[in-house]
Amino acid sequence: MDTLASLLHTSPALAWMVVKVVIVFSAVMLLASVWTWVERRGSAMIQDRIGPNRAALFGRIRIIGLAQLLADGIKFFFKEDLEPHDVNKRLFWLAPFLAFVPAMLGFAVIPFGRDFVSGGHVYHLSVLDPGNGMGMLYPMAIGGLAVYGVLVAAWSSNNKWAILGGMRASAAMVSYEIGMSLAVVSIFMTTGGYDPAQIIAAQGSQPWHWNVVPQFLGFIVFFTCVFAETNRLPFDFAEGESEIVAGFNTEYGSMKFSLLALAEYAHMMTASALVVTLFFGGWQVPFVAHPGVMLSVLSFLVKLLFFAWVFVWIRWTLPRFRYDQMMHLGWKAMLPLSMVNLVVHAWLMSHGR
Amino acid sequence: MFLVFALITLLGALGMLLQRNIIVAGLCMVAAFFGVAGLFVLLANPVAAALQIIVYTGAILVLVLFVIMMLNSHEEEPAETPHPIQRWLSVALSLALGVGAVKLVLASRGVQQLAVQGAALPRGTTLEGVGAVLFAGHLLGFEVAGLMLLAAMVGAVALTKRNL
Amino acid sequence: MGVVVKKVELGWLDRTYVWPVLKGMGITFNHFIKQLFTPTSKRYTIQYPDMKKEMPTGYRGLHELKRFEDGAIKCVACFMCAEACPARCISIEAEEFSDLNFTQGFEEKRPKVFKIDMLRCIYCGMCEEACPKDAIWLRNDYEVAAYDRLSMQFGKWDLMNTYAEADGKARISEDPTPSVPRRVLAM
Repeated sequence: MDTLASLLHTSPALAWMVVKVVIVFSAVMLLASVWTWVERRGSAMIQDRIGPNRAALFGRIRIIGLAQLLADGIKFFFKEDLEPHDVNKRLFWLAPFLAFVPAMLGFAVIPFGRDFVSGGHVYHLSVLDPGNGMGMLYPMAIGGLAVYGVLVAAWSSNNKWAILGGMRASAAMVSYEIGMSLAVVSIFMTTGGYDPAQIIAAQGSQPWHWNVVPQFLGFIVFFTCVFAETNRLPFDFAEGESEIVAGFNTEYGSMKFSLLALAEYAHMMTASALVVTLFFGGWQVPFVAHPGVMLSVLSFLVKLLFFAWVFVWIRWTLPRFRYDQMMHLGWKAMLPLSMVNLVVHAWLMSHGR
Repeated sequence: MFLVFALITLLGALGMLLQRNIIVAGLCMVAAFFGVAGLFVLLANPVAAALQIIVYTGAILVLVLFVIMMLNSHEEEPAETPHPIQRWLSVALSLALGVGAVKLVLASRGVQQLAVQGAALPRGTTLEGVGAVLFAGHLLGFEVAGLMLLAAMVGAVALTKRNL
Repeated sequence: MGVVVKKVELGWLDRTYVWPVLKGMGITFNHFIKQLFTPTSKRYTIQYPDMKKEMPTGYRGLHELKRFEDGAIKCVACFMCAEACPARCISIEAEEFSDLNFTQGFEEKRPKVFKIDMLRCIYCGMCEEACPKDAIWLRNDYEVAAYDRLSMQFGKWDLMNTYAEADGKARISEDPTPSVPRRVLAM
């Protein structure tokens, strides 16, 4: 790291920052785009189909259809960039970015591996170092911004279906945010801190000390709300092929649509990273008290991918909820449950466990 | 850095005032809130920044935009009878407010401390600090605010749901 | 007609919604694992250009005009198939020929032109039903496609050679001169 910094004439801290940003964002981008393929392939397997397996590099190297990513990307890139009549041009252009940027930004505070010391410096494996004062508030704040992408996309396309999808999606996101925040607050409480590094350190390496076990209710609530936040299937009200065509991205095509779709998957990655950090011990390796750096990163990655797969899995298991059912669940089930969770843990803490 | 955030805030606020399209105006307001959040971070108060984004941009403005979209009024309606007096009055009032605010800030202790060389930099506020201040120093105010919000909530439910 | 639908009363476990979701996930995961470990050849999906479906006997695919062992066409140009064809895609021109060696001037009939417009054909098999000589068969080839309309007009020799490779027969492009009277062969 020092040699790299001296080569670039910067301080090691800055060089490390740049390296981290590049690693994290390229990894999230890559995973998100791979996950579009995993989603299609996985759904096919679940439904006893085969899925996209024919795209090949140079017409020869098939690699179980992974080249589909490239094919999709190239196709989206070269498609005509249609702009329907009577759209609000500026907002129509802005919306994909508004959707994509928060989805990527949320990852910034999440530690994806152990700290390590090299050459007298402590290197933290998260884009924002721990102790930045924002802690887990940051991904919550950024997650709240994801509504704007949907809302602006819906409104600017000047389309009835789009606006219906955008409205109900944003209503869902706003109402599930409360239950989610309360579930997180009870974790802040039991941890005694709100920094992700602190939360991970407090969970330790024993799987039965991870937050899922004592806070199972909180986990259920958080996980359910995360589905609503990311607009994934049991609660994906932004879309709805049977009711409102493609919902908020009805009017979108080419690269703009691709950004919207990628944003969904990036959001999914961030959400599963949050679940892993809050409830499954982050980078902690089960039964290994002091894992090596690479091992911890690997452990984090495995957990992350598992939860991202659960997103896909649930999507192809459950049908879409009806809007009133979803609101009912959000306000009358999730919110009271997370409050109960909070109160129970507060009581337990005040009575010394 | 300060200049960037200040510019974002000011431009957002100006855009919000001058935009005729009400949705664009709302988004300009989001930008202004972001600028303010950035300023909070510069003031070593990341908690306030996060709360600003969560509460204002994440919840309140979303609801405002939601309602605007629901009512679907694309263009600002012109006032029925423009009174020149109103305009002058508003300019005078906002000038008075601005001057007062600037005087207040300049007279505050924090600014005077900044002038002293070698004064300790403010330490970052944490969520624990905010909580301690709220529940220890300002418990009464906190509870009163909570009660007011509860009353407002009950009132809203009673207004909208006629047949309980 | 109204039907009384019995409302299913859910138990408390089902009402929590968590347990049914887990059950559903178990089902989908079973399918996933099963499909993952099924070899490609045993999956339901037939990956078309690489794998082809075995057509059942009696499938009505591309036509073949049958021939005798010496390569002469079985068709006697009776026009029955053209009459029976609901799509009117068969056009036949008959000709007379005589085998001077044996029949000594006995005239026989055979198609000079036998054309099927494959773009019109609906593969109903009526021609096969109507044929008194079993000279036209609809068999199991279903890949009838071409890049232009003209090559979808199948002529007599095209139709006689459609299954030449599949049956291991020689492709022929002209009527042979029969050496033995055909009536003898038929008897």
